[in-house]
Amino acid sequence: MKQPVTSRQQILDSIRAATPTAAKDASQLAEAYADLPRAYVGHGSLSAQARVELMIQRLREYDAEVVECTPAKLADTITAQLAASGRHLFVAPPGTPNEWMVTSAWKITGLEWTIDHGLPIDEHEIERAEGVVTSATCGIADSGTIVLHHTATEGRRKLTLLPDYYLCILRASQIVETLPEYFSRCQPPPALATYISGPSATADIEMTRIKGVHGPRILVVIVVRDN
Amino acid sequence: MSHLRPGRVSLDPRFAPPFPEAALIMLRNPQLRKNVGHAIDVIQAKRGKLVVEKTDWQALRSAASAIRFHVLDNLSAYLEQFETRCIAAGGHVHWAADAAEARQIILDLLRQENATEVIKIKTMTSAEIQLNSFLQAAGVSVYETDLAEIILQLGDEDPSHIVVPALHINRSQVREIFARTMNLKNLTDDPKELTNAARTYLRQKFLTVPTAISGANFLVAETGTVAVVESEGNGRMCLTLPQTMISLVGIEKVLPRFQDLEVMLQLLARSATGERINPYTSLWSGVTPGDGPQNFHVVLLDNGRSSILAKTKERQTLKCIRCAACMNTCPVYRQTGGHAYGSVYPGPIGAILTPQLMQMKHAQSLPYASSLCGACYEVCPVKINIPEVLLELRSQVVNQERKQAGRFFDLMYLGLRIANLIFATAWGFHAAQRIGRIGLRFFTRKDGWIHALPSLGAKWTQTRDLRGLPKQTFHQWWAERVKVKK
Amino acid sequence: MRASLFITCYNDTLFPETGQAVVRLLERLGVDLDFHPKQTCCGQMHANTGFRGEAFSQAKRFVRLYNDAENVVIPSSSCVAMIRDQYPGLFEELGNDSLRKDFAALVPRVYELSEFLIDRLGIEDVGATFTHRVVYHASCHGVRALQLGERPYKLMAKVRGLDLATLPNVDRCCGFGGTFSVKNAEVSSAMLTAKLQDVLSTKAEYCTALDNSCLMHLGGAMHREYAGMKTIHLARILASTEADSEDSRTEASR
Repeated sequence: MKQPVTSRQQILDSIRAATPTAAKDASQLAEAYADLPRAYVGHGSLSAQARVELMIQRLREYDAEVVECTPAKLADTITAQLAASGRHLFVAPPGTPNEWMVTSAWKITGLEWTIDHGLPIDEHEIERAEGVVTSATCGIADSGTIVLHHTATEGRRKLTLLPDYYLCILRASQIVETLPEYFSRCQPPPALATYISGPSATADIEMTRIKGVHGPRILVVIVVRDN
Repeated sequence: MSHLRPGRVSLDPRFAPPFPEAALIMLRNPQLRKNVGHAIDVIQAKRGKLVVEKTDWQALRSAASAIRFHVLDNLSAYLEQFETRCIAAGGHVHWAADAAEARQIILDLLRQENATEVIKIKTMTSAEIQLNSFLQAAGVSVYETDLAEIILQLGDEDPSHIVVPALHINRSQVREIFARTMNLKNLTDDPKELTNAARTYLRQKFLTVPTAISGANFLVAETGTVAVVESEGNGRMCLTLPQTMISLVGIEKVLPRFQDLEVMLQLLARSATGERINPYTSLWSGVTPGDGPQNFHVVLLDNGRSSILAKTKERQTLKCIRCAACMNTCPVYRQTGGHAYGSVYPGPIGAILTPQLMQMKHAQSLPYASSLCGACYEVCPVKINIPEVLLELRSQVVNQERKQAGRFFDLMYLGLRIANLIFATAWGFHAAQRIGRIGLRFFTRKDGWIHALPSLGAKWTQTRDLRGLPKQTFHQWWAERVKVKK
Repeated sequence: MRASLFITCYNDTLFPETGQAVVRLLERLGVDLDFHPKQTCCGQMHANTGFRGEAFSQAKRFVRLYNDAENVVIPSSSCVAMIRDQYPGLFEELGNDSLRKDFAALVPRVYELSEFLIDRLGIEDVGATFTHRVVYHASCHGVRALQLGERPYKLMAKVRGLDLATLPNVDRCCGFGGTFSVKNAEVSSAMLTAKLQDVLSTKAEYCTALDNSCLMHLGGAMHREYAGMKTIHLARILASTEADSEDSRTEASR
């Protein structure tokens, strides 16, 4: 009995009929792919110092607040930023280092941490939090982008989405200059990624850029000078 | 659509009026023209600065064009690879041959979840298949979450641009729409307040509706990844909070490898919104336990794309990454806005994509909606030679015309056929010049200019004078000069 | 240096004075100019409207006519663009090997006027005088298809007495577009109005360009609106000398 042709088959057949010069096998395909021209800039030419400065400059262009500190001063800087935020209830990913949270100064300022253990913590818990603190995977200076691969120290995606205040810890050694540099480090590619370049914004009304639609309206980045 | 407001043009290419007619309606709307002009001036200025700053811009364009051509040439292999990887990562992949099938697949998936509401991220592909009205009719409430799409949905307006769909609407018009539909009597037209109203309106929806529909900017074959690029965060909301996610994606949107995003992401935001990169880019492959939707479906849409693929000159149409740089630079779009094109894909890309998606059965006026200035080709990040495709489609329209008996009543058609005979020989050409000069004498005023012509000529003289034909043509002057020299 | 003038169908019929200026200019520069009396049209109008078969027959005729020409000079960028950009496709689709071969041999010898002066003759100062304020309209085919770039500006820079105005939005299309001006007359006019605003804002006496097609469109509106500016093909400016720069005003008004 003749089987009805599925749409999948129909579409693939149409495509194959339309592409007679397609590669015959995987190795031919890989060869054709390898031959594609890539004359664009791969590796940047800035010094490590200049790279970090560029990242900071771009972040500030997006109205993100940027603070620098040495590795020794990190916990204190986090405390100071959270205290200055005017908020009290923060949520953090399960891999957050203890030393970020435990300082005596905190007991005074009344900051409270909730750790997102990925249990059925419903949105309303995260909704209750006024701010979130995480680390990052990478910073791309050319575009002022923070890269999250949603590891244990970065948290699942809704964590950095729902709270209105986001404090991101970025080490200087994590900053690359160009997008191709970041992608060359993605071996293997991540299953999940979010690239954040500034607070959320829209320009849908008369092209006037308005910050903060959904997603954190306040982005603070601590750049740790670890290089 | 009988209930269309006067001045409103259908965006269904099967029913939309021809471009010249639709354009005339838009030209008579000064507010629209002002809004459109302002918006594209802003984007153009921002884009211009960033292109100058990006010293490897041309190299990026070349790479992007090559990658996209390579994908199109090997589309079946890459789609199959994407499917395998996506399924291995816990996703489901469906194939829709046409719009009707895509709509039905999506509705069936929603019914499986007993979904009566969906939240949506902006996707022009869903507008292409007229998804919203289909779902509403089937009893599913659709909530657009992109600010522009909310404005359009609440205001019962149509998109006029593929990146900034509400660019034809100004702030006081938005205020009026929101005040009325969100019952906010004291709302001002401050864009901050308007945006805040949208944020409050949507927050509850994001937190409670378990089903979402998206499109995609790119698919990655190597990893089965879907990429969505956005500014507001509504995308991230829809992509991470619901239980079920359905992504509707044209088959041409696949890239070979994850690394290829490094090229596309550098080109897309600069071209689309004049930013180095958009605020949020979300990438996900299949399903990740504990993070985001656990029930994920991709619906791959053909709907005419594979037939475009088969045509040598026209295939490049499918390289498009939907950045809208072409319409931002188009001097025609600047004057008419998007609705004149009678399609959810307007501007230069719309002029070549829409008629082809319609198998050249509709929208035949669109390939002529261009002065062939070439500005679009210059800015296209993937180097689509839009003028080349426009010319090819014009030739197809004419070949359709040739087969119709009514062609003898088309003055333009007749005129061009006669002109060809005239240009075939010098004596024919010269005779026509003499006849023309004698004929036009009647219309030539004392100052030597023609102010009004009949018939097709009236299209010229309705806004321009035409200098009368000189007594002596150049070749006559030359012939005389040759005689004198002898 | 020998060259054959392809005047173009519309210049022959509507703007003979442009052709006369090209002759005067090139002969002054020592070019031995000839004119093939059998020439008609390059086929652009038909190609751009979708009549490829018809365009092909005209293209074939052009190639045959100029087979032996040492150089072909054309005072119209859109016609040169037609020859360079569209003839190959037409001959690929409808021609034969012999025609394609002849075309390949001919095309490097085809020049738009400013290309002929700058690239072939190597001249920027053509000995012209034109004591007027002028605004230059950069037609789309010249800018994008031919990539003329600085050529017209280099030529104008050496014209004595010429005061060149800066045109805002210089790269934006004037809206002529050939049959577009009739098929989409209203949009064409909207684009024309926008362009005219920029052109008139320069307060120049003349608007010049390398294409009479654009100038016909702009000049037609200027005349209709009593705009107080006139159009003139760049060839006429370049042909104009000290001796006749007095007369040029009266001539250009026709």
